[in-house]
Amino acid sequence: MSTAVDPIERYSRQVRFPMLGEAGQRKLMASRVTICGCGALGTVLANHLVRAGVGNIRIVDRDFIETHNLQRQILFDEQDVADNLPKAEAAARKLRLINSQVNIEAVVTDIDHTNILDLVADADLILDGTDNFETRYLINDAAVKLNKPWVFGGVIGSEGQSMTIRPGITPCIRCVVQDNPPPGMTPTCETAGVLGPAVSVVASFEAVEAIKILSGAYDALNTELFVIDIWDWTFRRLKIKNLLGKVDCPCCQQKKFEWLEGDLGSHTTTLCGRNAVQIATRRSEKLNFAEMATRLNSLADVRHNAFMLRFAAEGHEFTVFPDGRAIIKGTNDISKARTLYAQFVGN
Amino acid sequence: MPVVRIPTPLRPHTDGQDSVESTGTTVGEVLGNVGTKYPALKERIFDDAGELRRFVNVYLNNEDIRYLDDLATAVAANDEVSIIPAVAGG
Repeated sequence: MSTAVDPIERYSRQVRFPMLGEAGQRKLMASRVTICGCGALGTVLANHLVRAGVGNIRIVDRDFIETHNLQRQILFDEQDVADNLPKAEAAARKLRLINSQVNIEAVVTDIDHTNILDLVADADLILDGTDNFETRYLINDAAVKLNKPWVFGGVIGSEGQSMTIRPGITPCIRCVVQDNPPPGMTPTCETAGVLGPAVSVVASFEAVEAIKILSGAYDALNTELFVIDIWDWTFRRLKIKNLLGKVDCPCCQQKKFEWLEGDLGSHTTTLCGRNAVQIATRRSEKLNFAEMATRLNSLADVRHNAFMLRFAAEGHEFTVFPDGRAIIKGTNDISKARTLYAQFVGN
Repeated sequence: MPVVRIPTPLRPHTDGQDSVESTGTTVGEVLGNVGTKYPALKERIFDDAGELRRFVNVYLNNEDIRYLDDLATAVAANDEVSIIPAVAGG
């Protein structure tokens, strides 16, 4: 049931904001955004953009919802956990109730070099809701190749960073963060923790940059690396724009798209700090969960819905997605996880 | 004396301090002198050849040293050198 008669009316409070106005609002409503990752940052981003009336939003996420997500991932609730919903699908359901005027597409997949261009090609803007630099370098390659703006955000503990990337106009993420820190050199949200308000601050900065880009307010964009610590109450704006052309960036200067070409990065990976491994395979045919459930019926607690099949075996919890990808909890050992996958899911 | 600001993940290597006073007239000297006092910190920011690790960014006040003179960038007594690693979570 839609209560809005005039589609603009529901946005009246932001339309009155003179820097946006009705013309800006109409641009938002005609825009298309891909949000990569729908965890802590992604849920806040999606919430802001859907409420602001950005017309078309694609939400891409590979994961399912766990109770420890609810502390900061604002679109999810306990029922979503009980229903075994993937994050992208649960977010889309919630957001459609918030604003039926927005066209929301949920895509449950692992973003990798084979699918990123399809996921972002029709978007006016890409937003970063991911939790790792491998995916960010992939987004960066795709954005530079397709000449699309994107907004980076990262959070850990009480600290956060954000920068806005416009290919050819600003440095790209590889100009600023030249290499992915090796595992163990930097903390993750699982090892160092993360505060919900830190996420909200960073994602809100990303969202306001999105509103500026989509409404054409380019002069108001952030050209620096924004760095905050909400616990220490420190806010810094680090000057990075002179890095453009100064560092011989493989991506935006040399136009070598090493992540996009699949030369760098792996997607069968340990999920850092979670004692879990993701097995990345992509099958041409969808798995038949009903058949699998019958086959696995001797195992404990086999459950499935349209989005995932979950079971426990040999002390591990398996979550299998229709494209064959799986997350196996209870190990950080990739070869062991591959063996378990072959044993219980199949090759 | 120039001050080096230490990011949260590296503070275990500086006895928990969030900033450390140092000496030197270039960014390289200032960081090198802190590294002599705190070898575990040095290992995390410099590689074996003595170059900054590529995932470590260093700022003089609020300027990225890569568009100044890198490790040869001149440092004055009241300057602040910050080590800022990328924040990956989200």
